Amino acid sequence: MVLQTIERRGVKDNAVLKSMRSVKRHLFVPETNVSNAYEDRPLPIGYGQTISQPFIVAYMTESIKPKPEYKVLEIGTGSGYQAAVLAEIVREVYTIEIVPELGNSAAARLKKLGYTNVNVSVKDGYFGWEEHGPFDAIVVTAAAEFVPPPLLEQLKEGGRMIIPIGSPFMNQMLMLVEKKGKKITTKSLMPVVFVPFTRKQD
Amino acid sequence: MNAFKIPLSIALLSAAIIAFQLALIQILSIVQWYHFAYMVISIALLGFGAAASLLAVFREKMVNNAEFLLPFLMTCTGIAIASVTSISQTAAFRFDSYLLFAEYSHTGRLMLTYLLFLIPFFLGALAIGLIFVRYVDAIGKVYFANLLGSGVGGIIALFLVRMFFPNELPALIAILPVLAGLTVAPGYKRFLHFGFSLIALSIIIWKCVIPPRLIQSEFKDISKTLLLPDAKILLEKTSPYGNVQMVSSSAMRYAPGMSLSAPKPAQTKMAAFVNGDWFGVITDWSRTDTSMVLDYTTSALPYAMAEQENVMILQSGTGMDVAHAITRGVRNIVAVEANSTILSILQHELAAETDSLLSHSALSLHNVEARTFLSMDTTHFDLITLPIVGTFGGSSGLNALHEQFILTKEAFRDMWFSLSASGMISVTSWIDYPVRNPLKILATMVEVLHELGIEDPTNNIAAIRSWGTITFVMTKAPLGEKEIAAIRTFCEAMMFDPVLLPGLGAEERMRYNQFQDDLFFDYVDRITSSGKEAFFAAYDFNIRPATDNKPYFSQYIKLSNLEGLANFLGNRSLPFFEIGYLLTIITLIQISVASLVLILLPLFKIGWKGEHKAGVVLYFAGIALGYMFVEIVFIQRLILYFGNPIYAASATITALLIFSGLGSYYSNFFSRDRKRLLMIFTVIFVILFAYSFILTPILRDTVQATVFLKSLTVLLIIAPLAFCMGIPFPAGLSRISKMNTALIPWAWGINGCVSVISTVLATIVAVELGFMWVMVFAAFAYSLPLFTIIKSHE
Repeated sequence: MVLQTIERRGVKDNAVLKSMRSVKRHLFVPETNVSNAYEDRPLPIGYGQTISQPFIVAYMTESIKPKPEYKVLEIGTGSGYQAAVLAEIVREVYTIEIVPELGNSAAARLKKLGYTNVNVSVKDGYFGWEEHGPFDAIVVTAAAEFVPPPLLEQLKEGGRMIIPIGSPFMNQMLMLVEKKGKKITTKSLMPVVFVPFTRKQD
Repeated sequence: MNAFKIPLSIALLSAAIIAFQLALIQILSIVQWYHFAYMVISIALLGFGAAASLLAVFREKMVNNAEFLLPFLMTCTGIAIASVTSISQTAAFRFDSYLLFAEYSHTGRLMLTYLLFLIPFFLGALAIGLIFVRYVDAIGKVYFANLLGSGVGGIIALFLVRMFFPNELPALIAILPVLAGLTVAPGYKRFLHFGFSLIALSIIIWKCVIPPRLIQSEFKDISKTLLLPDAKILLEKTSPYGNVQMVSSSAMRYAPGMSLSAPKPAQTKMAAFVNGDWFGVITDWSRTDTSMVLDYTTSALPYAMAEQENVMILQSGTGMDVAHAITRGVRNIVAVEANSTILSILQHELAAETDSLLSHSALSLHNVEARTFLSMDTTHFDLITLPIVGTFGGSSGLNALHEQFILTKEAFRDMWFSLSASGMISVTSWIDYPVRNPLKILATMVEVLHELGIEDPTNNIAAIRSWGTITFVMTKAPLGEKEIAAIRTFCEAMMFDPVLLPGLGAEERMRYNQFQDDLFFDYVDRITSSGKEAFFAAYDFNIRPATDNKPYFSQYIKLSNLEGLANFLGNRSLPFFEIGYLLTIITLIQISVASLVLILLPLFKIGWKGEHKAGVVLYFAGIALGYMFVEIVFIQRLILYFGNPIYAASATITALLIFSGLGSYYSNFFSRDRKRLLMIFTVIFVILFAYSFILTPILRDTVQATVFLKSLTVLLIIAPLAFCMGIPFPAGLSRISKMNTALIPWAWGINGCVSVISTVLATIVAVELGFMWVMVFAAFAYSLPLFTIIKSHE
């Protein structure tokens, strides 16, 4: 049912849809919320964090145009759900979590589920993971008031970075950062396009 | 009646109830958010209505046992005040406002919290109501003590919050009702009551020694910050402005919407939080790497346009913009900030950490509201800056009901007249989605420029944006070639895009930061064109400029469009858009329904027909509605007048209550005389109607006077009106006591319920129609009792 919603709202990439189908979200949410795991909405996971709504995870994954040979960096592991979705598609996932309790439990969960291509580190995501960079794509799951310069440095030429902006409880705006030579551009992507009643032709 | 004991006890009890109410606002604002505090307390105050209903049903029994019940209820109030905060922090009761819409179990906990906080108000109100009924013959004096006690309670709370942390307050306040109980304990049962008081005092001492630990929502700014590596609270100070905490962490950084070409953001040492909400970053000025970060944000635009010598920084907060101005070599900086606690901390406890920023020789610091300073200062500035508007990712409307006088049209006019010939006003905003803040800022600037006689405002407004922020600069002189070139160079270096600039090409607007479509620019162009009125009407959100009459800049909800938004966003997401105003409407619905039940319930006992019931409803609802509306307008107007929200509000409430108390004291002269009562209501009606139109001009014309003269002016405005407004309640009770004593608690209950409704309703009227109309409605509310008195003669 969630998958249908995701498709209906515009996610087309087959690899992403297959991954979303494979990764069982109920394994990443707290016991108290298992019954809501397949609703298309964010759920609290403690420490003021949430597991993103499935549509946002799918949309963010699609927007970096993931390929099997990709090495992807994720900032903000949370429950590990986004990392698992990425790990189904790409070669390697490096994921960083600043809250030790969340990072450690996500690492254990991903290990238990057999994701050998996911590396979890508990540290400050601002500095990225220099020794494993540069990365083909970077997924920032925790919104930030600025784009950390070290992450831009660790993004490969032509690479893509995706960052959500807005409260996790509502429809978020996503920002895509692209690096082309010395020029860095951003593009605001609105997964749920706000359709104003006012249009040019009015 | 004991001439001294009963008035003293009611005064002590009333003081405790008001002080507890104010303490509770602080406590709930710390653990949740202000709007939830407002909602929970509004519902808890219905304890007055519930007490009145009970009293109406069991009046005779309770009056007969009043000697025993009064001290018992007062002591129980003390126990409840001391205990409910700790109970609310237990797992069974603790709710998280964010999770209300995500996990429905929290809705149940919210309901339990309502009931819990209703208990102390219910018990206290029951004692007060019982005194009103039992001693209705001396209602003037009793009500005088009630009002005086309430006024004193406000002052007590103001002193207590300066000395004690919010979680310590309830236990301290709880002493007052216990003392009230001891005052009225009957001689023959004093020993028994003394024992009960000892138990109560033991609980209070226990809560004083081990105050409840306040558990903040995990989604609050401070909760998330404390999860960062090495995070610790370095300093904590309580104040009437809220609980101030200074937090440090090695992973804390501040760089609002920083350019993608910036080398690195500043490593922030410390940040200030007020009631757990982000307030600002603590910075020094000698290390350029801390404040230099602002050079890489759009807010550096005015410095890129021209050399600035005289700069005024309004609402300077923790001083980041001051540090930035210093590093830019500004020779004369005027900073204006109303929060004295933050300024005191920066000047004393954190002087070393900030390199004595606030004592810098270039800086002149003013501890006053920004608008008040603007109306009093005659200096001219090259640049006036305002704090960043909105918050990253949207504020969910948490400021929707926060009066932002600095962002009204009148404020921009005042700023305009404080500019030098080449001066400019700079405002930066987060770009929200759907876009609201930037459009309202632009609309405000455009309308102000039009009103100042500038035909084409686009010659005087420049705007640039990064991926996250947009900065508007409104210039006194039309933008020149040199400035336009400087703006383009700055944008190119920083990877920003110009949004508004004379001679701007469409292709220049999205070179670095693209939107999915060009609707945003269409909106901007519509606002700067002649079709802006049609656009305001058609846009889904209210982006009409705020005015001093409707100073709610962050209120974007159009009630007429609510259903459409709910359908589009879904019921779970909608609250996160504009939770502030929505909660007010939800609160109004909840208290109106509950009030209706509480008002109707006693009628099963006292009967539905006859006995002037319609008149009683109109009379007591009218005076409650009118009184609260007046109180709210005065508070709002005097904040701007005196320049200090906390003290202006306290002084207003205290003056109103004391003069009303005096009116009540003399009410006996009026209750028996219908003609005099008619005269009083007519006077109130006329004064209020006149104030609707002349209050604002009077205050505006005298705002530059000395504090003494201003206080005298306010006293002259408030005293006669408040005196008259203190008369109708006791006079009305006294009159109906002669008709049917069974109606007394019912009438008092109507008054209590409608008072609670009125405070919420006044806010909605102010948002929708403006404060002038709140005053007009207050006048008409007082015409309802006038009508009933005229009718009673017939």
